[in-house]
Amino acid sequence: MNKPELPWHSRFDLLGITFLLFLAASLGALPSIEGSGRDLDYMGNLARFAAQFFPPDWSILDRTLSGLLETIQIALVSTLLAILLSFVISLGASRNVSPVWLLWPTRMLLNIIRTIPSLLWALLAVVIVGSNSLAGVIALTLYSVGYLAKFFSETFESTDQNSQNALKSLRASPLQAFQYGLWPNARPIIWSHCLWMLEYNVRSASIIGYVGAGGIGLHLKLYAESADSWNKFSLVLLCILFIVTMLDFTGEKIRKSIRDKLEGIKK
Amino acid sequence: MMEVKDVGLSLSGRWLFQSLNLSIPSSSFIAITGPSGVGKTSLLRILSSKLSPTEGKITSMLKDGQDISMIFQDLQLANGASTLNNVLSGCLGRHSSFKTLLGFPKKEKETSLEWLRMFGLEKKARQWASTLSRGECQRLAICRSMLSSPTLLLADEPVASLDSDWANRTLHILKDSQKKRGGSVVCSLHDENQVEQFADYVLRLDSTNPDQWRWEKLAPLDA
Repeated sequence: MNKPELPWHSRFDLLGITFLLFLAASLGALPSIEGSGRDLDYMGNLARFAAQFFPPDWSILDRTLSGLLETIQIALVSTLLAILLSFVISLGASRNVSPVWLLWPTRMLLNIIRTIPSLLWALLAVVIVGSNSLAGVIALTLYSVGYLAKFFSETFESTDQNSQNALKSLRASPLQAFQYGLWPNARPIIWSHCLWMLEYNVRSASIIGYVGAGGIGLHLKLYAESADSWNKFSLVLLCILFIVTMLDFTGEKIRKSIRDKLEGIKK
Repeated sequence: MMEVKDVGLSLSGRWLFQSLNLSIPSSSFIAITGPSGVGKTSLLRILSSKLSPTEGKITSMLKDGQDISMIFQDLQLANGASTLNNVLSGCLGRHSSFKTLLGFPKKEKETSLEWLRMFGLEKKARQWASTLSRGECQRLAICRSMLSSPTLLLADEPVASLDSDWANRTLHILKDSQKKRGGSVVCSLHDENQVEQFADYVLRLDSTNPDQWRWEKLAPLDA
């Protein structure tokens, strides 16, 4: 009796093929780790450089905290503005809310916004409004809108539409059905996205100062460029690390609590 | 109130029911019984104008799609909204979008709380619907429909997740409230005791013979 045989290529699905392609391309890109080709003492360099970070220079703590405060202010204001703009734009980008003539141009616009990294938005904003925190707010607002509006529209599309339809059958207007049917189900997820964006913006706001858009990034740039200031640089890094970790921790706790509450106790 | 004449429904080439004739009088409680998949939900959807019958005609004295409220089998609540707001959304058809943009009229809130109290949910008024049990959600969906003050209440297995005590209390409330305002209830039920106790009429659907349905007037029982 013949043994049943599967064709040799049946084991390759999309996952397998893309993994093989990725592996082949990565191996082909190995020359990029060659470096300069000069015989440098990498580990020695690293040890000498890292040693300059310690001990951190606590004498600049006041200055650093005030820079950090400006960073957080930039993140807060830009996230708030982005939430407001994204809410409006996301309605245009949601398949179940927007007409087709508005849907695709809006999505295209969001794609374009997302293509530009936050640092580039910051450079553009500095050119237009000068080197200050307003540039940071403009940059991060635009950058955040690209992501938040996409998240919001995906949330509107994936949220259970049944309660909205139930209200329409109770003669609610489309606006009422959205406000009291769809929105309450989407709101907790949307707020989770907003919290995530705030965390992300605090991180981004820490670096955009490097190109003059306000915040702690300017301090990083100054200390990195002046000789023997790596111990000051390390203190700034420590402060950023502390604030970002706290935000991560708190944000995750809040998001989990929202998720649990929404999933409820029904089993 | 509503006349159903020679109505039949065929889904995917199979007749669920055929030659269905019935009349829904005012102030009546009509039960629909039959095994799962026989077409009880589809018939309720036809009565609510959400589904068109394959054949036959429905004549309604009610305004086009108005004055009818449906309690869905899958409840269709807003899980992220408070229990109170879920009930309040039953009154949206009475108010303009502008009026409800920033909240609901005080009178509606009071009536909603009264419905919640009647169904034992007033202490959970501020809780999200997602945090309620299945039985509580079912009572909540009933409150929402009752706030819309329908002339015809269509209820798809409204007591399926309730214990027998709450099931009987619920059917009592539905029957009494609708009778008081001259309205009717059409309700799919499985429990024959509940049918006997509450229904004025019963429509029995049969899965094996789509044209074999029975319409019975039941002797009134003072429950």
